[in-house]
Amino acid sequence: MSLANLRLLAGLIALPALLFQSNFLALLIQSAYIIILAVSHSRRFKLLPNLLLLFSVSLAHLLQPNGLHLFSIGRFPVTAGALLLGAHKAFTLISLLYLSQYMVTARPQFPGALGKLITLQFYYFERIREAWHIKRPLTEAIDEMLLELEVDPSKATKRETSKAPLREFLWNSIHIIVLWALFFIGHYSILPRLN
Amino acid sequence: MTSPSKIRVDFVALLAACALFLSTVEYLVPKPLPFMRLGLANLPLIIALGLLSWKEYLLLALLKVLGQALITGTIFSYIVLFSIVGTTASVLLMYLTHSLFRKWVSLVGVSIAGAMGSNSAQLLLSRYLLFGEAAKLIAPPFLIVGLITSVLLGLFAQQFILKSRWYKKYLEGGR
Amino acid sequence: MQKVRLGDVIIFLLATLLIVFSFTFYKGLSGRPEVRVRADGGEWVYDLAADTTATFKGPVGETTIEIKEGRVRVVDSDCKNKVCIAAGWISSPGQWIICLPNNVFVRLEGSLKGGTIDDLSF
Repeated sequence: MSLANLRLLAGLIALPALLFQSNFLALLIQSAYIIILAVSHSRRFKLLPNLLLLFSVSLAHLLQPNGLHLFSIGRFPVTAGALLLGAHKAFTLISLLYLSQYMVTARPQFPGALGKLITLQFYYFERIREAWHIKRPLTEAIDEMLLELEVDPSKATKRETSKAPLREFLWNSIHIIVLWALFFIGHYSILPRLN
Repeated sequence: MTSPSKIRVDFVALLAACALFLSTVEYLVPKPLPFMRLGLANLPLIIALGLLSWKEYLLLALLKVLGQALITGTIFSYIVLFSIVGTTASVLLMYLTHSLFRKWVSLVGVSIAGAMGSNSAQLLLSRYLLFGEAAKLIAPPFLIVGLITSVLLGLFAQQFILKSRWYKKYLEGGR
Repeated sequence: MQKVRLGDVIIFLLATLLIVFSFTFYKGLSGRPEVRVRADGGEWVYDLAADTTATFKGPVGETTIEIKEGRVRVVDSDCKNKVCIAAGWISSPGQWIICLPNNVFVRLEGSLKGGTIDDLSF
């Protein structure tokens, strides 16, 4: 099995453990684990957009009050349950996000004709990035570049499908086990439930 | 509009690559709020309306969604659902508007239709998936931003078509 | 520049209509009836429109309420007389149910139609 497919598969197996996590604390641990995983594979973690996501989704859920009344803004009740629900959703989303980033770190290839097309798309993408210069007037600059890029049929690179080393199998199994363990910890309320 | 029944694979891939490039450009632009999207990646979809057969056009849309999902790594999270839903709605509307009303509508109108369709579909999705009732609150500013950006995008696209030599070349009959 | 055509203007107007329409959603959002529960430890608030159950701890045990189909009732309680359960469903703002032994006070607040009826105070 190639490295790309291995990570892909591992991620797919781990996915339900995130999606169906019922305990917020366990979810937090899962998220931290995945973020560290993604970052250690040179994916970037930017604090601000994630914070923004957490904030806006939590805020949005306040609209439907649920649970302990913490305080009110004017007549509007801010409830702990709603905040928790919002935060839970946000972290689920964030962890799924970084999981899928991890899954594509080894550049998996789609099977079949579609796969070849996507490879072609990325090939041209790289060429665009090389050929692009900003110039005024804009439309002319784009035009020139496009004309220049004259379609070079199927120079698309052949992806290497070397087998994944044993230690990758080990690592990915560990990831799967950890994430599912956290799922069961959450499920059987071994960690305290906040709601 | 040329229509060989053969799909011009390289051409579509090139356009899809443009969409990818534009979405990375958009990604670099800082946005105050997460849903204030510029929709730059839709530009190739708008411009290509006069150039592609419907099969090629759908393929372009598919490549745009998949390429974006792969490169941002969102492919297995539910954000990709927003991309799928939005692009599907917008592509359908744009294609229909363009082919049915070509005489009365320029790319500006097409762009607006696409953006409104995309935003509405995404709002509906967010109502059930992410924001709940609060989706109703976000709706007006989201739609307004969509209207403004789609008008600007449409104007640019329209202007590009009139001036571009590359466009004329492909208009007059494929590769 | 280039000509903007009639169809463009029509589409633009349709889009504006859509936006105006979306503003009407603001109305439905405020003044939704709420279920407010006062018990040991504080006050809890729930949306009457969202079906859910909730349990509160008090001096004699637990009291559980159920919100379903726009109504609320006490479905279970550890108190001796179970008067609160016998009280059945309430659905209008201003109504309330109380479990005295367990110190749980459930009341409905808010308005049914966007803010015209004021809630009663006790």
